[in-house]
Amino acid sequence: MTDHHNDGSVVRHRHRHEGPRKHVIAFIFSIVLTAIAFATVAAGGVNTAFTVILLLVMAVLQVLVQLGYWMHLKDKGHMIPIVFMAGGFFVAGLCIIAALYWMWW
Amino acid sequence: MAHAHSVKRHKGLMDWLTTVDHKKIAILYLVAGGFFFGIGGIEALLIRVQLWKPMSTFVTAQQFNELITMHGTTMIFLGVMPIIFAIMNAVIPLQIGARDVAFPFLNSLGFWTFLFGGLLLNLSWFMGGAPDGGWTAYAPLSSTTYSTTHGVDFYTIGLQIAGLGTLIGGINFLATIITMRAPGMSFMRMPMFTWTTFVTSAMILFAFPAITVGLVLLSFDRILGANFFNVELGGNPVLWQHIFWIFGHPEVYILILPAFGIISEVVSTFSRKRLFGYSSMVFATILIAFLGFMVWAHHMFTTGMGPVANALFAIATMLIAVPTGIKIFNWLFTMWGGQITFNTANLFAAGFIPTFVMGGVTGVMLGAAPADYQFHDTYFVVAHFHYVIVGGLVLGLFSGLHYWWPKMFGRVLNETLGKIEFWTFIIGFHLTFFLQHFLGLIGMQRRVYTYLPNQGFDMMNVLSTIGAFLMGVGVIIFLINIAITARKPSGVENDPWGDGRTLEWAIPSPPPEYNFKQLPLVRGLDAYWKEKMAGNTEMTPAEPVGPIHMPSPTIIPFVMSVGLFIAGLGFMFTTEDFGNSALNFIFNNYIVVILGLGITFGSMIVHSINDDEGWHIEPEEIDGKGVEA
Repeated sequence: MTDHHNDGSVVRHRHRHEGPRKHVIAFIFSIVLTAIAFATVAAGGVNTAFTVILLLVMAVLQVLVQLGYWMHLKDKGHMIPIVFMAGGFFVAGLCIIAALYWMWW
Repeated sequence: MAHAHSVKRHKGLMDWLTTVDHKKIAILYLVAGGFFFGIGGIEALLIRVQLWKPMSTFVTAQQFNELITMHGTTMIFLGVMPIIFAIMNAVIPLQIGARDVAFPFLNSLGFWTFLFGGLLLNLSWFMGGAPDGGWTAYAPLSSTTYSTTHGVDFYTIGLQIAGLGTLIGGINFLATIITMRAPGMSFMRMPMFTWTTFVTSAMILFAFPAITVGLVLLSFDRILGANFFNVELGGNPVLWQHIFWIFGHPEVYILILPAFGIISEVVSTFSRKRLFGYSSMVFATILIAFLGFMVWAHHMFTTGMGPVANALFAIATMLIAVPTGIKIFNWLFTMWGGQITFNTANLFAAGFIPTFVMGGVTGVMLGAAPADYQFHDTYFVVAHFHYVIVGGLVLGLFSGLHYWWPKMFGRVLNETLGKIEFWTFIIGFHLTFFLQHFLGLIGMQRRVYTYLPNQGFDMMNVLSTIGAFLMGVGVIIFLINIAITARKPSGVENDPWGDGRTLEWAIPSPPPEYNFKQLPLVRGLDAYWKEKMAGNTEMTPAEPVGPIHMPSPTIIPFVMSVGLFIAGLGFMFTTEDFGNSALNFIFNNYIVVILGLGITFGSMIVHSINDDEGWHIEPEEIDGKGVEA
C-alpha cells in the first residue's frame, strides 16, 4: 500500500491486519444495543420518559459504533471526513434550533 | 497497465455532448452561463426602462414582478454560478497539478443538470408566465393563492434540477482538491484560488441541502396540496424564510469567495509579488465561511424574532467585516511596493477592491438591526447587494476571464478593447447603483413596478437607467473582444503574462487533454515562480513518463438530465386540466413523470452495468505530439 505524503515522498507501509476481533466485538455491541432498546419497549411497564432517554442514549452509542468501526472514522487518516461530518452536524443543528426556537417557542 | 483500450473519439457536436474533459466542460459552463447572463442582463435593462420615468406603462405590474424574479434567479443560479464553475473547471485541476477532476463523469452530469434545470426555468416565459414571487419566493407570495400561474412551479422544479448540478460540482471539487494535489502540494501550498474553491465547495455541500428541502416543501405545497407554509392549516411562512436564508446567506459567500480567490491570483501576479499574508488569507476565507452560516436571520430582522435574536445576528454579521477587512488590506499590501502592470485583468481587480469595500460598508449598515428597519425593502438594499455581487463578483469574473482566457483558449484578449470595456462597465455600474443608495434613503421601495412623480426620485432614476445601458455596452464590447480574438491563431506561449506563479502557467495554452505529461513536483507556494527563481524553465517532474489513464467520453449524463427535465415538466402539470383527454391522461396519471424518471434511472443502470475502465495515452503518442509538460 503506497501513500503519497504531502512532502512528495512515497512511503511504503506494511499492511498490518488487525484481524476480525474488534469488528466482531463491535458487531456484538451494536446487536446488544439494539436488543436493549427493543427489550425495554417490549417489556412495557417502564416509565415513558425513562424509555425515551434510554432509547436516545442507545441511539447515540449505536451511531458512534457504526461511524467508528464500520465507517472507519476511528482509523488514522480520516480527519477530513470527521471535520466535514462535524460541519454537517453543526449546520443541521443550527437549522433545528432556528426552527424550534425562533418560530414556535 | 499495458491494456490500451481503443476509445471512440467523437467529433463536432457529439464531442461536446459526450465530453468528460474538465477543460471542455469549463467552456460549456462558460457558454451556457454567458447565455443566461445575457438573458438576465436583458431582463435588467427592461426593468430599468420601466423605471426610467414615473408612472411608466412600459410593462405591467405582473410583468415587472416576473422580470425582477427572473432577473435575480437567472443571474444568481444560472448566470454567475456557472461562470464561477467555468473558471473553477478550467483552472483548478491545472493549479493543483492534476490530470482531471476526481469524478469526470459527475462533472459532465453536473453541467447537464444545470443546463436543463435552467432551460426548464426559462421555459416558463413561453408556458403561461414566469415566476413572480421574487427570487426569494417568499410564502405566501409564492403560494397558489397569490401566484396562480405555473411560474413558481418552474422555479421550484427548475432550481431543484439545476441545484443538483451545483451540489454535484461542489462535491466533485472537494474530492478533487483533497485527493488529487500534485506531490508536494500540501494544503498550505495551495494557490489562493484553489483554497477559495475548496471552501466554496464545502459551503455548497452544507448550504444546498437546505434549499433542496425548501424547494421540495414548496413544490409539495403547490402541486400536492401540502400546507407547510399555509397559516390557515397550521403551516408557517416564516419557516420558508428561515430555510431560504439558511441556504441564501451562505450562497452569497459561495458567490463572492471564488472572486476573492481570483483577485488574489491576479493582484499577486501583476504586482510581481507573493500574496501578502497568505496564511491570514486562508484563515480569513475559512472564518468567512464559518460565520456565513450564522448570520442568515439578518435578512429577517423585521419578521419579529425579538431583540435578543436581532442583536445576536447583528453582531455576528458585523464580525464578518473583520476577516473581509483582513483580505482587503492583504491585497493592498500585496500591491504596495510591487511592480504593478495595469492590464485589463488587473484593472478589474483594482476596480474590485474599492467597489467591494463600498458594498461591505453598506452591508455593515444593513446589519445594524435598528437601522435595518429603515433600510428594509428600499433601494438601499438593492444598491448594497448589487455592489457586492456586481461590483464584487462580476468584476472578479471579468478579471478572471481576462487573466485565464489565454490558458483556456490559447489567445490573449485584446487589451485596448479590454480597457474600454472596463471603464464603460465600471462607470456604468457606479452610475446605476451609487444613486440607488440615496433613492432608498429618501424612501423609494424595491419590488414596486412604478413610482409617483415629484418625490425627488425622477432624476436619479433617469441616471440609473443610463448607467445600466452603459454596463450593457461594456458587456457588448467584451463580446466583440471575444469575437475578434477568436479570429487570431491559437497557441500563445505557456506563460503569456511572463509573471505566472502557479502550475497552470507551466503547461501549454491551451493544455493537452492530459494536462501534465508528468505530474510536477511542488516545492513551495507559487510552485512555478519558485522554479523560475531557481533558474529552471519548467517544473521538476515527480514521476517517470508513462501511459496516462483517461476517462471515456459518455452521453449518459446528457440523457440522465433530459430524463430529469421530462420528469420535472410532467410533475408540474400533474393536476392540470388541459381540456384534452389524451394530454390529461398522460399528465394526470404521472405517465410523463414515470417516463422521465425511467430514462434517468435506466441510464444510471446502464452506467452501473457497463464496466468502463477508460483508456490510455501511451508515452509514444505524447512524444509524437511534441508537447512538453
